[in-house]
Amino acid sequence: MLYSINGLTKTYHNRTVLDIPSLHIERGGIHALLGPNGAGKTTLLNILGFLESPSTGDIVYESKVVQFYESYLQDLRKTVVLIDQQPILFSTSVYKNVEFGLKVRKIPKKDRPGIVKEALDLVGMEQFLNAPANTLSSGETQRVAIAQALAVLPNVLLCDEPTSSVDIENQVKILNILKQINKDKKITVIFTTHDRFQAAFLAQHTLFLDHGQLTTAGYENRYTAFLTQKDNQQIHCRIQDSIDLLIPLHQIGSNTGKAQVMIDPEKVSLCHRDDISMNSACWEGRVVQITDEKDNIRIIIDLGVWISMVMLRSTYQKSYLLVGERVYIQIPPSSIRIV
Amino acid sequence: MTFLFDSFQSAILLVISLDREIISIVSVSLKLSSTSTLIASLVGIPLGFYIAFESFPGKRMTITCLNTLLALPTVVIGLFVYSLIARKGFLGSLDLLYTQKAIIIGQTILIVPLVTTLIIAAISRIDERYRKTAMTLGANRFQTALVIFREARFGIVAAVIAAYGRVISEIGISMMLGGNARGFTRTITTAMALEYDKGQFTLAVALGIILLGISFGINLLFHFFQGRTRI
Repeated sequence: MLYSINGLTKTYHNRTVLDIPSLHIERGGIHALLGPNGAGKTTLLNILGFLESPSTGDIVYESKVVQFYESYLQDLRKTVVLIDQQPILFSTSVYKNVEFGLKVRKIPKKDRPGIVKEALDLVGMEQFLNAPANTLSSGETQRVAIAQALAVLPNVLLCDEPTSSVDIENQVKILNILKQINKDKKITVIFTTHDRFQAAFLAQHTLFLDHGQLTTAGYENRYTAFLTQKDNQQIHCRIQDSIDLLIPLHQIGSNTGKAQVMIDPEKVSLCHRDDISMNSACWEGRVVQITDEKDNIRIIIDLGVWISMVMLRSTYQKSYLLVGERVYIQIPPSSIRIV
Repeated sequence: MTFLFDSFQSAILLVISLDREIISIVSVSLKLSSTSTLIASLVGIPLGFYIAFESFPGKRMTITCLNTLLALPTVVIGLFVYSLIARKGFLGSLDLLYTQKAIIIGQTILIVPLVTTLIIAAISRIDERYRKTAMTLGANRFQTALVIFREARFGIVAAVIAAYGRVISEIGISMMLGGNARGFTRTITTAMALEYDKGQFTLAVALGIILLGISFGINLLFHFFQGRTRI
């Protein structure tokens, strides 16, 4: 196991921005940290990169408990490199930027040019070797930042939203570079994103983070709802004037009033038109998007609010669904939980 | 008007003729200002760097105190240092009063807060990502500090130039601690004051022209480096 985290919290000015009871990240793969803005992704990445210390909790890195004091962390940082969301290069040449990590590791001067050239070659930036770093575009800067990391051959490469500040052409290049270095150099890649399609394209493992906590169902299908107690057994849940559901009291407790609820997309299923009259948890909507996510197919349906559902590829193939079609779906009360 | 014009004309001729008296005064001024700027930089740059770079209790209060010291009048510093180095003072036995060393001490006290606060401002303007990038690439604290120093280099040079401009034009410290001894502690500003007292405007105007020229050169340099920090 590369990282094992237990009881980790991070608090800023009495506000808990990260609360992770347990997290294990395996060596070797590409891991996506998916979540909306403000979910705590960057904070977690900074902690994994040993640039910030947690307020409480333990981190075991490569089977050793991390001691959060400077000299200990300095050694660990030599094995983990974090690339910022908008990386900044030192105001010198591209060569000197990539050479920096080698210099601080006291790599002999004669060996450095070869390593720098190889790293730049891997990211397709070898022609910029002697260019001033401040003349590069954001996509080129991102690639040089990856080369900076590659030159020192870390065990782990942490990338904070690696494609957020670059154009489409560079996005594809960067994602392919990350894929390639994971495959060829066996570097574990952990990256944050709020784009689930990017996570699906690149990552073998996806972690969902929302409001500083790991969630299982992802951060989608999250709505503001109004809860009222119907009787002793059920709570009436109204989601944005479009979806009305009755939820057993034992499932969500006696919470009433305004609340954030989440619908598990894997529990939402297709139903028949006839079910609508018989089943109060069935709705009619329109398919607005269909996405291929490896073994699963994700379908976005417009019910007045957009709701995402995930189905097996085999189920989808039998359904013959197309974008724009009318569809009937069932949202079982068990798919709803209060966030 | 004719009087001013005549004084100005004579002063120009005096400057062009490289008068020995003028050369002596300007040399003393440049020597003292350079030495005090060098010492103040050796103290102020690391101090400013430490204050900007590190977190410690009382940091804000320290910066507030330094900002207050920027407004310290030169005569107050002159009086303070005089009380220390006068015969009856704590350092009286060192016999520093009315020497170049006394002026250097006073001028250094004058510009250490200036250098320090300008360095704090220069370092604080540097993007936090430089520090983060250096650290994640494996740099230790010293190597990270060097990166920040390098990125702030133009701001640092501008701070030193501003301090030099401040000392070369001060008069209170030089007069009170140097005593305006000819060829020894007579600086441009103290010589101008003396010539004014004597009613000899030609030398005073000539020195004024030189001082203005030096100040202009310093400001040109300052703006050059200040401009470079924005690139």
